Amino acid sequence: MKLLTKTSLNYLSVTLFVFMFGTIAFYFLLRHQVNQNINTEMEKRKSNIVNQLLSVHTSVYTPSNQNEKVIITPLNEVPAPQLNFNDTIFFVKNESKYVPFRQLCFITEFNNTKYYIQIFKSLEETDNLIVRIFLIMTLLVFLIITALLITVRHTSLRSWNVFYDTIKKIKNYDINLHNEFSLKESDVKEFDDLNKVLIAMTERIKKDYSNMKEYTENASHEIQTPLSIINMKMELLLQSQNLDEKQLKAVADAYEASNRLSKLNKTLLLLAKIENRQFPESKSINPQEIINSQLENLEDLIFDKKINVIKHFDEITTLTLNPFLAEILFSNLVKNAIRHNTNGGDLIIKTSQNNIIISNSGSELKIDKASIFERFNKQSSNPESTGLGLAIVQKICEVYGYKVNYDFENNLHHFVIDFSNFK
Amino acid sequence: MKILIVEDEKSLTDSVVEYLSEEGHICEAVYNFNDAIEKLEFYDYDCIVVDINLPDGSGLDIIRHVKKASKSSGIIIISARNSLENRIEGIEIGADNYLTKPFHLAELNAHLKSINRRINFNGNEHIIYNEIKILLSEHAVFVNDKEVKLTKKEFELLVFFVSNKNKVITKSGLAEHLWGDYMDMADSFDFLYTHIKNLRGKLLKEGCTDYIKTVYGVGYKFDIS
Repeated sequence: MKLLTKTSLNYLSVTLFVFMFGTIAFYFLLRHQVNQNINTEMEKRKSNIVNQLLSVHTSVYTPSNQNEKVIITPLNEVPAPQLNFNDTIFFVKNESKYVPFRQLCFITEFNNTKYYIQIFKSLEETDNLIVRIFLIMTLLVFLIITALLITVRHTSLRSWNVFYDTIKKIKNYDINLHNEFSLKESDVKEFDDLNKVLIAMTERIKKDYSNMKEYTENASHEIQTPLSIINMKMELLLQSQNLDEKQLKAVADAYEASNRLSKLNKTLLLLAKIENRQFPESKSINPQEIINSQLENLEDLIFDKKINVIKHFDEITTLTLNPFLAEILFSNLVKNAIRHNTNGGDLIIKTSQNNIIISNSGSELKIDKASIFERFNKQSSNPESTGLGLAIVQKICEVYGYKVNYDFENNLHHFVIDFSNFK
Repeated sequence: MKILIVEDEKSLTDSVVEYLSEEGHICEAVYNFNDAIEKLEFYDYDCIVVDINLPDGSGLDIIRHVKKASKSSGIIIISARNSLENRIEGIEIGADNYLTKPFHLAELNAHLKSINRRINFNGNEHIIYNEIKILLSEHAVFVNDKEVKLTKKEFELLVFFVSNKNKVITKSGLAEHLWGDYMDMADSFDFLYTHIKNLRGKLLKEGCTDYIKTVYGVGYKFDIS
């Protein structure tokens, strides 16, 4: 849940709760206050009536007012006289409905006779008033809440916008793209601080990263020079006529080892370069052409292993990628499919709009299917294999957003490059 | 051939000079930019082998200098930096080849031979060696005047062997010549074995002497002794 929604919801529920109970309490307080008023008014009436009784000697007093009624009865005629204030309901004929009344009953003495006097006062109008006040109050409260909510949401949204912008930019940030990392300025101190810290942090990471990259690249390059010297000295040594077979073999082994080292170094450097996206220029590439030229390059081996090449170049596809990487990508896959093929096996290449499938005959691998693309994962213990060929394939696919999958089915190894997402 | 080597790493230069001198080339070595420019002012070379990163300048500027003086020398760049841009720039300003360190001396030698043919024979040279005749531009090989059908790779292999006669050529040297830098060695050794077997078979079938000797555990040698 977004912070804003959360705070808004909290705010809303608390205000609703408070105002609900507030208005109920308000209603009863108002009610109470009005009753008090009526009571005092009735008390006044009471003294009036007593006075009038004393002066006018009339036994029943009925005021002209519809909302008021006074009944005077001698006390002995009343079975159970109730005293004090009461609420009661009367049926009012000319309005044909029940109307609430406030009642004041008291006993007064006049000419030695005790009278039970009831004063009734209609509550209809006051009740209407209370309801109206109550409704107006409630409406007002809701108006206030809505207005507040809208204001809070609006201002918060504006302030949080900066925050969301920051989040979006961080999400899309790629240290390899070398683009400027700038964030919006905010009038909220916290967000401004956050952005400043983030900018400082990315700057530092960028610097560290490029330092590290530079270091790795320089180190790799610097290693090549001493390796060149070792290799050349040994190549010269190999030409020497006076080495016996054992010495020759020792030199050759050392030579091959240092050669492997330099090859490994070169390949790792290539992987790093692909990873760092240092092959920016892309061209429209025809994979069929590249695969054909690779097959031509390897025709002797295909012939030698009696491999049956089956091409299904049904649909003409073009891909946009760096030509050098495209060549490495397909040559690695084709070489792989030839080297791990069985004698007289099949090499099937299918291209379509969405994928390229390179399949070759062979027996099932002992290693995990998913780990086949991992660096230095070799299924053979062949020391000359760098175990980086398929890692390079995967890295290239990753950089261009293609998916590469391995599967084994019907004694065929399948390598599928899926670029449907990309198109 | 008269060759100038411009490379600041002295012991590397020594190895190059030693290998190339044995091949009958006249080699001169300089270790920095200024000496190279000075040498080029006074002498002509058939070929210049130049490192790009020199302590006091860029090898690319040496190439520009040579090209400006419109000398016909062949140029081979050797560089530790295997960067595509450098390679493209180098070739664009007139270098014949670009070798990334570490490279095999046999490879450098083969490139020099090819430059030699380009300069002195317009590339139309026939390599004739005893019963073997190689027509480079036609990609044709004859043994005792009978044509031997070789595949592209077998042809490249034979030319490489002939360019490095009597030298022990390591497996990786051959493999890199045929397949370039980025081939897994395990692949290339398997493949190499196949190619050599086929090449040898085709030559022997036409009655050619078995020049290609296996040096056990090391590589191969085109042995004429």
